[in-house]
Amino acid sequence: MNEMTELERGYRRLVAFFPKSFRTENSEEIIAVLLATASPDQRRPGLTESLDLLAGAFRMHMGLSRAPRSVVTAVRLMCLGAVAELAVLITVLVTQGSIRAAAVARYPHYTAAATQAVGHDVTGDMVVLPILVLAWLWVAWGNGRGSQLARVAAIVFASLYTLVLVLELSEDVALVAPAAMIASSVAWALGVAAVVFILRPRSWPYYERPARDRAQDALV
Amino acid sequence: MHEATFMILTALADGSQHGYGIIGEVAEISGGRVALRAGTLYTALDRLRADGLVDVDREEIVDNRLRRYYRLTPEGGQRLAAEASRLQANAQAALSRLSPGGNPSLGVI
Repeated sequence: MNEMTELERGYRRLVAFFPKSFRTENSEEIIAVLLATASPDQRRPGLTESLDLLAGAFRMHMGLSRAPRSVVTAVRLMCLGAVAELAVLITVLVTQGSIRAAAVARYPHYTAAATQAVGHDVTGDMVVLPILVLAWLWVAWGNGRGSQLARVAAIVFASLYTLVLVLELSEDVALVAPAAMIASSVAWALGVAAVVFILRPRSWPYYERPARDRAQDALV
Repeated sequence: MHEATFMILTALADGSQHGYGIIGEVAEISGGRVALRAGTLYTALDRLRADGLVDVDREEIVDNRLRRYYRLTPEGGQRLAAEASRLQANAQAALSRLSPGGNPSLGVI
């Protein structure tokens, strides 16, 4: 039996990112093709082929390899929404000092109350925002697989997000970092755009497949 | 239809091919312009098999490694023919408008 080369080990590590049941059926074949297409002196997987394999594994995990283009676009927008939400969280953490200073400057007679209010806001954001990131990723994953539940959840999620954003905009703007508000608005726009795509006529048949077919897709 | 999907179906149009063979065929058909990578190829094959356009023809073991051959299904052949006709009609429409008779400002192409 041939000894495994460093290149093959590298390819196996990358192929391990694919879903298990897809690997069971295809990994040996993919490894064979990767080794056949490698240059004779290649010792490690190249950057482009590594990214290609990781992108393929991501599409498989999200169920995107079998979804129509409108659903694929919606899922991509949802993933970007998760990134935007993460940006909101980072912005809140980075700018909390300046927001606290702005609140104190605005309410000089209520320094303690203003500081406390900002503190509560930041604590709330630190709890809620990671949950929102996970919620975005869950609806993306579910929609990629054609789950009706995830589709309805995405619509409800986008509606609630619209309501919360309107309420936030009506709040005292001194207590909200402009960058966080911009990132929130971007996340909202991404959510609304994603809903438009999952409601397009081309997307409907994908969600109307029998549960048996969706379960079969989930196996690969 | 994505270009990569069209190319994979075209590569299988005149007979079954294994993964490495498909990559070579696609490079040849496109004159080296499309370089399919393994991740793209196997994600596309997974979708094409799920859609019933491609199926596994046979499997072989060569140098202790699995070699699986894929073939076009009758439905895959019909879809490829329909897409090729559509592309041909579009190309013909574009070329006729670009010809000297179609657009005098362009002269001879």
